[in-house]
Amino acid sequence: MNFTLHIWRQQNATDKGRFETYKVSDISPDCSFLEMLDILNESLINDNIAHPVCFDNDCREGICGMCGLYINGRPHGNDDGVTTCQLHMRKFDDGDEIWIEPWRAKAFPVIRDLVVDRSAFDKIIQAGGYISVTTGGVPDANAIPVPKRFSDMAMDAAECIGCGACVAACKNASAMLFVGAKVAHLAMLPQGQVEAHERVKKMVCRMDELGFGSCTNTFACEAECPKQIKRQNIARLNREWIKQLFAGNHKPSSHLSNH
Amino acid sequence: MNNKLIKLSSITKKLLVALFGTFLLVFLLFHMCANLFILADDGGDAYSSFCHFMGTNALVKVAEVVLLGTFLLHICLSVILWCQNRGNRPVRYQRPSRTKTAKGSKLAIITGSLLLVCLLFHFYDFYFVKLNVVKGGNYMVKTEDFVISDPSQEVSEEAQIIVMQAIQDQKISKDGRWLRQLSHADKEVLQECFPDAAFEPDFYNTAREKFSVWHIVLCYLVFFFVVGLHIRHGFESAFQSFGLNHYKYSRLIEVLGIVYTWVVCLGFAMVPLCVFFFK
Ligand code: HEM
Ligand code: SF4
Ligand code: FES
Repeated sequence: MNFTLHIWRQQNATDKGRFETYKVSDISPDCSFLEMLDILNESLINDNIAHPVCFDNDCREGICGMCGLYINGRPHGNDDGVTTCQLHMRKFDDGDEIWIEPWRAKAFPVIRDLVVDRSAFDKIIQAGGYISVTTGGVPDANAIPVPKRFSDMAMDAAECIGCGACVAACKNASAMLFVGAKVAHLAMLPQGQVEAHERVKKMVCRMDELGFGSCTNTFACEAECPKQIKRQNIARLNREWIKQLFAGNHKPSSHLSNH
Repeated sequence: MNNKLIKLSSITKKLLVALFGTFLLVFLLFHMCANLFILADDGGDAYSSFCHFMGTNALVKVAEVVLLGTFLLHICLSVILWCQNRGNRPVRYQRPSRTKTAKGSKLAIITGSLLLVCLLFHFYDFYFVKLNVVKGGNYMVKTEDFVISDPSQEVSEEAQIIVMQAIQDQKISKDGRWLRQLSHADKEVLQECFPDAAFEPDFYNTAREKFSVWHIVLCYLVFFFVVGLHIRHGFESAFQSFGLNHYKYSRLIEVLGIVYTWVVCLGFAMVPLCVFFFK
């Protein structure tokens, strides 16, 4: 298969950037999108045409969340429920023009070409996406009973790989699907419930500070999430937020705490 | 606009938009039901006594202020959110988005703003008349206010003619309690002779007058269409914002939203249409 690629090239964070056009030919339909870019980069290096195109990737099996590209107007390209590394060239027609852009969001600045800085997500996790217990020996699986339905729902939410496609797709660059998945996944398990109020408060405040938008219930995130995280997780986030607003409804006795 | 409003967390703001929006949804249903009284075949008696109640009851006055505040807060908060959201993608994508999404949400700010424009015109027609800001429409007054207790009281010839004419044109309500369908000019003349008479806007006849003109009817139909677009999205969206989304009930909520939207919009649309064609 042959393709014409229009790729966003940008030297560094301050460079203005522009599209460059490249042609690739003889691409196998079974080639993944990233392998196709590898072939392009090889030819760029071998023929000494240009600096290879920078893009993020790691596992190449759809589980690490590094490889987000905005392809022809859709995060992770024209397929549902896959990451860019799992997108195959057979999803395109021979001779297609393909436009490749980096994620665009204030909170995800471009580092170079198609690589963006997604550490804002890490900062949200650092704000509360954990449970504060020292790890010890592995507890028995039946030590803390969890209803099957809840463990399933928690597992579905925990599938989020932090790729940022939800932010990239959202017209408000909102991270509500990501934060919703993280908050929901811990809120549904006994271990997570101890810090549930504090967690949602800290994570949402951090999300706001970092320049992510608010949710307008457009659900572009849900449509583009490679792990098909559901909008119900955003509803749960809203619910957890409301609970947090009304939690701690009386002052603790003052003789023990000095607050 | 107060700083505290801007500083609220994004979710709290959205919650408040939904809370005030839901209040507006309830109000809209109430308003629509009240309007249907206009269609009653009683020469406007039922609707007029309803308007009299709404115009004079103290609790209603309080509710009116609350409603106005609700509108303002709904608009302020949603506009704040919209402004804040716009800044979150300083460099835009060069290619148009091909993600499949709910259109109503993207259009909410536009349908909302159009709604506001339509609303101001609607206020011009009715509410501002009540506030005596706009001098137009029709007025009504209790007939008992015309009893002349003091024989020395002067009643100008002009006023007498207006009253005589009104009786001749059967502008007295069936139960004889109201003199209605007075123009603003007539009202001014009568008010001079009977300073104690309590004149009220006669919305029944104002509506009949307005809705006898085809382009006003058309404008109102457009207005209701815009309202429909906004609440078709808003109804479902509010549930999600309250955190009420469950895979079992989401379809039910969607259907309820569609039913609500059609009932409200058709209910509203019935009045200008029926008045235009049948009254
Ligand atoms: C009778 C009048 C109105 C009703 C019944 C109404 C109702 C609603 C409801 C129920 C929502 C959903 C809230 C949510 O998803 O959290 C909403 C959202 C919204 N409304 Fe209104 N509204 C009205 C008037 C207006 C006006 C005059 C504006 C003017 C700008 C406006 C702008 C918006 C915006 C921008 C949203 C946010 C949509 C979103 O982000 O999903 N609304 N409205
Ligand atoms: S919610 Fe989905 S789209 Fe968003 S970061 Fe997680 S996996 Fe990616
Ligand atoms: S490279 Fe790991 S998900 Fe694509």
